[in-house]
Amino acid sequence: MNKAGSSQNFRRVLAQVDPSEFIGRAAQLERIVAHATDESARRGMLGLMEPAAGVSELLRQAYDRIFNQQTEVIPIYFEFTRNDTTAVSAAIEFLNTFLQQYLAFRNDDPSILHATLTLRDIVARASMQDQQWIEALVERYNELRFGKNDRELVRFCLGAPQRIPKERGRPFIMLDGAQLAQYLNGAVPLGTEVLRVFGRGTVSYVLAGLRRQILEAVRDAECNVNSFEYLHLRQLEIIEATLLVEQMAHRQQVEISEMARDLLVQQFGGSPFFINMFLQTARKKAVNVKSKLDCGDLYVAELFGGHLHSYFENLLEEISPRLNTRLRLIAVLWDAVSGKDAISSVETWAQRLNIDAGELAEMLPRLHMYEFINWDGRYIQTGTEPQTWKDYLRIRYQLDVENKPRALVYGEVLSDVLKRAQPTKHSAQVNLGKIVSRFNCQQVPEVLFDYAKFSLNYKGEEPETIASSLDAETEFELPQTVYVANCSSFKIELPPIVDDEHCVIARTFKERRYSDAQEVVWFVACLHEKDAVAVNVATAGKWCERFKALGSELKFHHYQIWLISNSGFTDEALAVLKDYEAFSSDSQQLELLTSRVGETPRDPMVHHSEPSEFRLEMPFGEDNELVAAGTVEQIARRLPFRPDAINQIKMAIVEACINVFEHSFSPDQKISQRFRLESDRLVVTISSRGIVPTNLNGANSRSDTTEAAEARRGYGLILIRSLMDEVEFEPVDDGTSLRMTKYLRDTAS
Amino acid sequence: MDKPSGLLVRSHCVGTTAVVYASDYLNKLTGERIERECRRQLNCGCRALVIDFSDTKLVNSIGISILLGIIDVAEKNGAKIAFSDVNSQTVQLFEMLGLTRHVVLAKDEREALLTLSGFETTPIVH
Repeated sequence: MNKAGSSQNFRRVLAQVDPSEFIGRAAQLERIVAHATDESARRGMLGLMEPAAGVSELLRQAYDRIFNQQTEVIPIYFEFTRNDTTAVSAAIEFLNTFLQQYLAFRNDDPSILHATLTLRDIVARASMQDQQWIEALVERYNELRFGKNDRELVRFCLGAPQRIPKERGRPFIMLDGAQLAQYLNGAVPLGTEVLRVFGRGTVSYVLAGLRRQILEAVRDAECNVNSFEYLHLRQLEIIEATLLVEQMAHRQQVEISEMARDLLVQQFGGSPFFINMFLQTARKKAVNVKSKLDCGDLYVAELFGGHLHSYFENLLEEISPRLNTRLRLIAVLWDAVSGKDAISSVETWAQRLNIDAGELAEMLPRLHMYEFINWDGRYIQTGTEPQTWKDYLRIRYQLDVENKPRALVYGEVLSDVLKRAQPTKHSAQVNLGKIVSRFNCQQVPEVLFDYAKFSLNYKGEEPETIASSLDAETEFELPQTVYVANCSSFKIELPPIVDDEHCVIARTFKERRYSDAQEVVWFVACLHEKDAVAVNVATAGKWCERFKALGSELKFHHYQIWLISNSGFTDEALAVLKDYEAFSSDSQQLELLTSRVGETPRDPMVHHSEPSEFRLEMPFGEDNELVAAGTVEQIARRLPFRPDAINQIKMAIVEACINVFEHSFSPDQKISQRFRLESDRLVVTISSRGIVPTNLNGANSRSDTTEAAEARRGYGLILIRSLMDEVEFEPVDDGTSLRMTKYLRDTAS
Repeated sequence: MDKPSGLLVRSHCVGTTAVVYASDYLNKLTGERIERECRRQLNCGCRALVIDFSDTKLVNSIGISILLGIIDVAEKNGAKIAFSDVNSQTVQLFEMLGLTRHVVLAKDEREALLTLSGFETTPIVH
């Protein structure tokens, strides 16, 4: 899990979420804070953000961290907004914000940030040591403000932090350019000016925004590209995005099922921006997302007329202000992303859009900046756009260009969204971290880590044959994993060619013996070669070298490299892997391994989500229903239940668990339980992803007892209904959820 | 007196009555062990069964269904059956599912043996 910082003794100043709930950007946050505090780091840092990957909260978290430290580093955060109509207005806003934040920091008083202060108020509230330079600053500003030189005014405002006297501290400027409009009215390109002012000054800063826009501004400002530190902000890894959805749903008080959560992660490609937008909408509409259908329905509704629609609509309007051209643009873009014209010349676009060269020259850089197209000056290419954008374009095309009925389009898009979310999509590699975290000294066939041998002996065999033959294979004892983290947590910058890859590092011990000699660090990477080609020698070599270097840098004495590829490895690549004693598997091997590892997971974990709600996820079998009973007993004791009522609840939980163990066909062999304490009741929800037969009275039981005994089964539900006050079954994705409620009663009754 | 350990069930005979001890958690696994032991004792000529629950904290519904099976088998063999030292929570479950209609509940093993041997004594029911 990748969480940033601790919330202990921590005031939230600008951040919108608690540091403990800030998911997936721990490494980047550390780098920003380190950059701020490193006195020798006088150069700028560029935050290169993939569209919709989110940067604002990262900078606000950094701000809060530095603010709370109260050292000589003075944090200044400024967000360029779309409301800034000119560079001048944005620069003036920056000056005001800077002074107000300076005052708040100096007084160690976050409330100043939320006060409405004029420049005169700020001068009046400044301390004796600050009054002189602030007064001089305001005076000069007033002179420039009524002058005619906009560029000078912009530069003056942006350069204001450099006027802080040395003895009063060192400013650290964080410029949030996620919404930085490069093409503001007026003659001054803002991004370029920002880089000119800060690039030539001595103040440490971060400028973060859309990566293509920031790099273009660097080029325009004629900065030395080597003078910057770069911070890459891509979409979240699947594990982190999953965590983010859970956290955010909890914060927004939106109930979400695991399948819906996974669909959301998949649909938005791990974009924190879209995930946040979606869950906020769910909260506003008071919609719970308990199934794939709930999720798909809200998603499509959002694309038809919600926040997602407005987001893309605004961007399209900015890119192509004229309605007729915009409709033609939608047609051209849809043809491109749907594969009809994936590569076109600029001339073809000009012809189809029926616009002159000047208008096209304005449109293409903007489309390129938002990464809706890749434009190299002559050709326009598409194919790597996010799914959400493709869905939006399809809707717009079918409604506005083809004039199809709204209901027809809605239904088509919704069914396609649901089809995309088949369980097969939830492939084993998606949960790489989870799989590795389950290593617990199980014996597994060695061949599952040896692609060469596996492909020689088992390729093309029926799954049943493979499964039975594997039992005769030499066994390999997995280590016990004690900690797993994404590679990004170890500050590994993944190269752009591995954008979609998955990479984790696990600390493990052999034979559960906790000594240096038994400690082995596993470097695991899941590679997705484009067009389903086998991993070649160059890629294999690069990964092995990268891990070897990391092992040496982090002083890991024993390490094990394991590369996984959907489509296997070339012979040359396997030879390289042999040199590094690396393991190799394809997706089939990983799937087989997952099923074997999944049978004996580690001890159940209890997650505390809020004081009144608890969650427990545990594996089937091994009398684990007693673990659940013990847990519910502890929880129920927080309300004044009578002892016999607690016993009844325990018994009901035991029966509910047994019911799931007996009837569920859950692929992950897990049972999820949620315990919610309310003022007058305890609500327990038990669910499993397996398909529970509709006949819940035990007729389809898997047990092998006699017919007579079988006929008597089904007492479980009778007991549950007798022991609890309310019992409710609810079909959820691929399974059933059972909700049981026990009310507090007066002792007398 | 049989006193097996491990996977087997503790039991002993008093005359023609077998006393079988249930474990702390009566589920499918432990229930089936008791069932096997009861059948074995009946096959060996026992005329009555006492199942002692003094160690038993929890009985689940599968355990209960197995107990019903044992009652059936005992009845078919013309054997009497008593449950001893059952905790109140389990008694409540037995009542809910109707077991108490077919079986004598005794305070402890001694009372169960007494009840089954004479059958004139009114058993003390919890």
